[in-house]
Amino acid sequence: MKMKKKYLINGKKYWQSLDQLANTPEYRKFLKEQYQEITEESLSGISRRKFLGLMAASLAMASLAGCRKPIEKIVPYVIQPEEIIPGVADFYATTMPFGNSAFGLVVECHEGRPTKIEGNKDHPSTMGASNTLIQAQMLSLYDPDRSQKVQHNSAEDDYANFISFWRDRLEHFKSTKGRGLAILAEPFSSPTLARHRKDLLKMLPEANWITYEPISDENIYAAAENVTGENVRPVYDFAKAKIILALDSDFMYSESENIASARGFADGRRLENEHDGMNRLYVVEDAYSITGGMADHRLRVRSSEIGDFLIALASELKANGIYLEGFQFDSQNKFDSKWINAVAKDLINSRGKSIIVAGRRQPVWVHELVFSINDTLGNSGNTLEFQEFKDATLSSAKDLKLLASQMADGSIDTLVILGGNPVYDSPVDLNFIEAIHKVQHAVHLSSYVDETSRLAEWHIPRAHFLESWGDARAIDGTISVVQPMIEPLYGGHPDTELYALLATGRDIRGYDTVRETWKGFLDRGDFEKEWRRVLHDGLLKNSSTGNKNIRIRKSINDIVSSGNLRTNEVSADNLDINFYPSQLHDGRFANNGWLQELPDPVTKLAWDNAAVVSPKTAEMLKVKNFELAELQYNGRKLTLPVWIVPGQADYSVGLALGYGRAKVGRVAEGVGFNTYKLRTSQTPYAAAGAKLIPTGEIYELANTQDHFSMENRPIIREASLDEFQYDPEFAREMVEHPPLESIYPDYDYSKGYQWGMVIDLNTCIGCNACVIACQSENNIPLVGKEQVGKGREMHWIRNDRYFSGDLDAPEMMHMPVACQHCENAPCESVCPVGATMHDKEGLNVMTYNRCIGTRYCSNNCPFKVRRFNFFNYVKDMPEVVKMAQNPDVTVRSRGVMEKCTFCIQRINRAKQNARKAGRPVHDGEFQTACQQACPTNAIHFGNINDLKSRVANLKRDPRNYDLLGELNIRPRNSYLAKIRNQNPALKDYKPKVV
Amino acid sequence: MKAISAQSDDLIIDQFEPPLIEGKPTFHSLTDEISGITERRTPPVWFLAFGAAFSVLLILLGSIGYLVYTGIGIWGLNIPVGWGWAIVNFVWWVGIGHAGTLISAILFLLRQRWRTSINRFAEAMTLFAISCALLFPAIHVGRIWVVYWVFPIPNQMTVWPNFRSPLLWDVFAVSVYFSASLLFWFTGLIPDLATLRDRAKNRIRKIVFGILSLGWRGGNRQWKHYELAYLILAGISTPLVLSVHSVVSTDFAVSILPGWHTTIFPPYFVAGAIFSGFAMVVTLTIIARKIFHLEHIITLNHLEKMNKIMLLTGMMVGYSYSIEFFMSWYSGNIYEQFAFLNRAFGNYSWAYWIMISCNVLVPQLFWFKKLRRNVVVMFIASILVNVGMWFERFVIVVSSLSRDFLPASWDYYRPTFWDVSIFVGSFGLFFTLFLLFIRFLPMISMTEVKGVLPQADPHYTGGGHKK
Repeated sequence: MKMKKKYLINGKKYWQSLDQLANTPEYRKFLKEQYQEITEESLSGISRRKFLGLMAASLAMASLAGCRKPIEKIVPYVIQPEEIIPGVADFYATTMPFGNSAFGLVVECHEGRPTKIEGNKDHPSTMGASNTLIQAQMLSLYDPDRSQKVQHNSAEDDYANFISFWRDRLEHFKSTKGRGLAILAEPFSSPTLARHRKDLLKMLPEANWITYEPISDENIYAAAENVTGENVRPVYDFAKAKIILALDSDFMYSESENIASARGFADGRRLENEHDGMNRLYVVEDAYSITGGMADHRLRVRSSEIGDFLIALASELKANGIYLEGFQFDSQNKFDSKWINAVAKDLINSRGKSIIVAGRRQPVWVHELVFSINDTLGNSGNTLEFQEFKDATLSSAKDLKLLASQMADGSIDTLVILGGNPVYDSPVDLNFIEAIHKVQHAVHLSSYVDETSRLAEWHIPRAHFLESWGDARAIDGTISVVQPMIEPLYGGHPDTELYALLATGRDIRGYDTVRETWKGFLDRGDFEKEWRRVLHDGLLKNSSTGNKNIRIRKSINDIVSSGNLRTNEVSADNLDINFYPSQLHDGRFANNGWLQELPDPVTKLAWDNAAVVSPKTAEMLKVKNFELAELQYNGRKLTLPVWIVPGQADYSVGLALGYGRAKVGRVAEGVGFNTYKLRTSQTPYAAAGAKLIPTGEIYELANTQDHFSMENRPIIREASLDEFQYDPEFAREMVEHPPLESIYPDYDYSKGYQWGMVIDLNTCIGCNACVIACQSENNIPLVGKEQVGKGREMHWIRNDRYFSGDLDAPEMMHMPVACQHCENAPCESVCPVGATMHDKEGLNVMTYNRCIGTRYCSNNCPFKVRRFNFFNYVKDMPEVVKMAQNPDVTVRSRGVMEKCTFCIQRINRAKQNARKAGRPVHDGEFQTACQQACPTNAIHFGNINDLKSRVANLKRDPRNYDLLGELNIRPRNSYLAKIRNQNPALKDYKPKVV
Repeated sequence: MKAISAQSDDLIIDQFEPPLIEGKPTFHSLTDEISGITERRTPPVWFLAFGAAFSVLLILLGSIGYLVYTGIGIWGLNIPVGWGWAIVNFVWWVGIGHAGTLISAILFLLRQRWRTSINRFAEAMTLFAISCALLFPAIHVGRIWVVYWVFPIPNQMTVWPNFRSPLLWDVFAVSVYFSASLLFWFTGLIPDLATLRDRAKNRIRKIVFGILSLGWRGGNRQWKHYELAYLILAGISTPLVLSVHSVVSTDFAVSILPGWHTTIFPPYFVAGAIFSGFAMVVTLTIIARKIFHLEHIITLNHLEKMNKIMLLTGMMVGYSYSIEFFMSWYSGNIYEQFAFLNRAFGNYSWAYWIMISCNVLVPQLFWFKKLRRNVVVMFIASILVNVGMWFERFVIVVSSLSRDFLPASWDYYRPTFWDVSIFVGSFGLFFTLFLLFIRFLPMISMTEVKGVLPQADPHYTGGGHKK
C-alpha cells in the first residue's frame, strides 16, 4: 500500500508509531465508516490489544478497498447479453397449451435458461398456482430423449427436404381440392392455429381435419352443444357454490381446468373462524379420487351406473317439488334412498348456489342431464356459465374411427399427424397400426420418436412449448401468448410453424405468424406497444368472451330416453373396467421422471400402474396385492399387478392410462402396463364384462406408503362443522400431555424474522403439485423404481394419505409433511458433527459439507422427512438435464442427508432485496415453492414474529395444532384441522353400497 | 464338589477349595505345555482354520471396498430404517467384548481365582471383538472419508464435534475401552512373553519377544511393580466394563424414538453384554481346550461357573424385557405402547420370538447341574445365546425404526447380500486375529495359573519344586 504524501512528514519518513497513523483525521473517518458501532469506543480509551486487532483488520480492509474494481470488468462477458445480470433470475410470462385449456405461466430463467415454472397470477386458469403436469414441464423441456432430428423413413433428414416434400403434396392436393389428405391433430384453442386450419380447409375444402385426444372433454362439449344448440363451453364457479355434487368427476385434479376448480372449491371451503360457513361436497364415484377424498359424503357407485344414479336423483328432486319438465321415470332404484333424499334436499335448499358436475368419463346424455338439472335448479348464470368456445377444435372419437376406416380402405393418401400418438393411444379396435401402413405418406410431428413416428414416413421433432411461439385461449376466452424461454434445444419445430407450413407451404417463423394473428386483436392504437404489454403480461387483459345467455332446448325426457342405463348385473365374471388418466396424463409425459416417481395420490404407487380393486372384490376374486392377474375383456387380455384400494366400487377394476410405452425414451422404457390394449372405441372410459384371473405370480410394485390407517393417533385432526362450532379448539384438545419443559434455556426468538408455516388441511386436496414444485426448485434427484421400492424416495415434501372409518365407506385424507423445523429439533442434538443446526431465524438448517452421513438425525426425526443420498443420485444425470437445476440450491453428494429448507434461497433473496431497499421483508413478498404451486392456497408461510402476517394470524386460529407437538419438539410448521361439513341428516351415516 | 484326584498331600487345601487345575501339573509342565503350543511346528489344522478365516476376512475387505466405492445404498437401509445390520453388529460385537475385561478386572478384584485359566483368552477375545465392533461405526457412515470429523481434532475451520450427540460419547467410550483393555492385556502378557523369550530357540523369536517383554527379568521389585500396575489397571478397567455399554445404550436411549427412548437401557445393555460375552468365551474355550488338550487347565468347573453367570445375566435380560413392556403400558403413551406390542406381534415379531427363545428360555437349561456341566449342551446353548443377543439388537434397532410415529412413513427393512457379507466377513477378521493370537502368544496366562497351583501356596508341602 502506497501512502499518500500528506501522511509523510518531510519526505520519505517512516511512521513513528501506529498511533500516529491512527490519529490522522482520514483514518478516523475511514474507521467511522467501516466500523460505525465501535468507533466511539475505539478512539477513546481502548486497550492496546484491541487497538492492534482493529488496526490489522482495518488496514487489510483499506488495502482491499483500494484495489476493488467493477465486477463487470473482473468477470466480463465477452459479449454482454442484453438484460441479463449474472446470478439474478429473470421472470417471463408464457402459456402452456394443454388440450382445449391454456395455463398461463411465469417462468424463472437464469442466464437464459428456464429453471422453474410458476403460475401466472393474472391468468384465469392458473391464478398463480400450478399442478403436477405443469411443474414437471421443466424436466420435459430438457429431456435428452426428445427427438432431435427430422427423420425420413427412419433415416435422418433435413427439414428443408420436408418442406419441399410438403410443397409437392400441396400442389397435388390443390388439384384434388384436398381429397386424400387427412390431418389428425390434437385439440387446441389457439387463434393462430385456428387461423391456419381455416386457411388450409379453405384452400383444400375436401381435406379431412380430425381432432383426437385419448382423454378429452368431448362428451361435455357435445352435451353442451346438444342442450343449448350453441358452441359453448361450460364454466363452473365453485367458489360461489354452497352445495356441490360431483358425479365421477375429479374436478380438482384430473379434469380439465383443475387448478381453477380446486381454487374455487377451496375458497368456498376456507374457514376463517368457527362462525364461518363452508360448502358441502357430495361425491358419487367409482375409484377413489382426490375430489372424493375431500367429500363430506361420498357414495361408491360404479362409473357405469352414474347415469342411473342421476335419474334416481332427478326423481327425488321431482318428488321434492322441483319442476322437471316432462320428466317421467320410475322412481324405483337401487341406490340408498336416504342418501339421495338428503342430497336432493340440499340441492333444493341451495338453488342457484349449487353445482352438479359430471366427469368427462361420463357419456353425453349424463352431461345433458346434468346441464338440464343445473338449469332447473337455477344454477345457470350463477355457478354455471356458458362461454363461447372460440378458435378451438374438439376431440372426436367418431371422426377418428371414420378416419381409421378411410385409412384402411386406402382412401387416405397423405396423413399428417400433428402431435398425439395414435399408434399407442387410439382405441385398440381401430387397428391403427394396420391402417397407417395403408397410407402412402404419413407425417408425424412429435416430441419423441415414438410408436407412431416409427411407422410414419416423416418424423418432425416438435418443439416444447417453452421453446415455441404460439397463443391459446383460456377457458373464459382470454387470449394468452406462448413465448419461448429458450431457443429450441434440439432443433424442434413449434406447432405454429408447422401449421403455417401446412397451410401456406412457406416456412414462416412462429413469431411472425403469431404476431400476424394478434394484429387482429391489438388493432386499437400502437401495435408494438400493446404487443410488448401482452408479452409482459402473458395475456391480453379483458379479452374474456364473457357469459353467454343460453337456453336449455332439449327436454329431460329426450335426454333420458337417449341414455343407456345399465341393464346387466355385475358379478365376478362380469366386472366393470374403468380407464383413468394417470400421473402421466394419457402417456405423453411417460418419459418424465418427476411424474413417474411421483406417488399416485390415492394408490401411492410410483413407476407403475396396476389393476385397482376394492378389498371386497379382491377377496371375492382371491387376488392379493402385488399379484399379477390376467384381465380379460372382449377377447383381449392384459396381465398386470393388482392393487387393493379401499373405497373403490366393488366389481370394478380401475386402470390408469399412459403406462407401458414402447421405446420412447430411457425413463419410460418398461414402466407399467399398457392399458390402451383393452380400450375400445365403444367403451373408452367404462366397460362391463371383464374378468380378472389371478396368476399367483408376484410383481414388485414400488409404493411409498404401506400403511392405510392412522392407528388411532392424532395425526390428521378432523371434526365435523358442528363439532367445530361447539368446540373450536378441539384439535389442540385431542392430545393431553404433561407440561412441555426443556432442560435447555429457550433461545430468544422474539427478534428479527421468525419463519413459520401453516398448512390448512381443510383446503389441502393432496394433489402433489407441491411435491413436484419442491423437486424442481430444490434440485431433488430422481432415484428410480428400485430405490423407491426400497423406501428411498427423495421428495422433501410428501403427501401422506390415510383412510379412516368403515372399510365399506372409508374416508380418505391427505396431509403434506415436510421438515417441521422444530424449535427443539430432535435431529440437531444427535448429530455428532453438528451438521444440522438451528439458525437465529428459527430454521433447522443442514450443512451438507459438514454431514458425514450417520443418519441418526433421520432416525430421531419423528416425521421421517429427512432424505438420505444412499448413492450418488446425480452421477448419471445427463448434461442437458443439469440445465434444469436451480443455481441457487446446492446439489447434494452421495452420503449426505438432505431435507426441506423452507426454500432458504427464496428467503435470502427476499431479505437481500428488502435490505437493499432499506425495509423489512413484507408479508407475502415471497413464497416457498410448495406454497406458490398450491392450487388451493393451503400452504401459508411467513414471519411469525410479525403479528399482522397471515401466517401469524393462522397460528392463532383455533384449529391450529402442532403435529406430534406432545413430544415437546415445538414444530414451526403447524396444521389447521380438517373440518367436514356433514349434512345433519346424514351425520355419520354409512350409505348402502350397491 | 469332589476333588477328582484327592490325595493325602492335598487334603489341607482341598478342604477349602477343589484344585482349579487338574492333573497335578508342575510349574515346569505347565510352562512346557502352554509355551509349547506357540513353539511347536504349526499344526495343519491351524493352517486349515486360518485359511478359512482369512478367506472370510477377504470377503469383508472386498465388501468394504465395494461399499466405499458405491455407497451405503448397497445395504437394505431406507427411510425410516436408517440403521440396520451395521449398527446391530456394532452393538453385538461391543457386547461380546465385555467378557474379557470383566473376567480380568472385576473377577480379579473380587479374588475369583478360577478366572486365571480363561482370562487371557477372554481378554484377547475382547480386543478382537472390539476391533470388529469399531469397524462398523466407521464404515456405516455415508461419507467414510470424513469420518474423522467425529474426533475433536483442532482444525482450520475451528469446528468442533457436537458434544451433545451420543454418537460422540460412543466414540470416546469405545476407544477408551479398547485402549484400556489393550493395555491391561499387554501388561498381563509381559511375564509370559519373557518366558517365551527365555525359551526361544531362534533369533527372530528372541528379538521379537525380547522387545515385547520390555526387559522383564522376574526380579522381586519387578513383580512388586507389576502386581501393583495390574491392580491399578484392573481398577481402571472395572468402571469401563459398566460404562461402555451404558454409553452405547445411550445411542438409543437419548433419542425420542419409541422403543429406544427408555431409561432402563444402560443396565439392561450391560447385563446383555456380559451375557453375550460369556457365551462367546464359552463357545471359544470349548473349541480351544478340545483342540489343544487343555481340559485339565480349563476344567468343567470353569465352564460351569461361566454358565452360572450366563444364567444370572440371562435372567436379568429377561427381566428387562418384561419391565420394558410394563413401563410402556404404565407410561400411558400410545406410541410407546404400540412400539412394544409391535415388537412382539408386529412385522418383526419373528425376530422378537427368536430373541426370547434364545435369551430367556435357553439359559434356563443351566438350572440343572447335569446340563450345566455338559459340554455339548453348553456349546449349543452359548451359540444360541449369541444368536439371541444379535436378534435383541436387531429387534431394538430395526423394529423400532420401521414403525415409529407417523404410520405413513412406516417401511420394512430387508438386508441385502452386502449386509450379510460384511457381518460374515467380520467373523473372518475376528477369527484371523484369534488364530494369530493362539498361534503366537500364550493363550493361557502361565504366570497366573501357576499362582493358583497348590505348589504356589507358601505352606505347600507336597511337591512342586521339591519333586
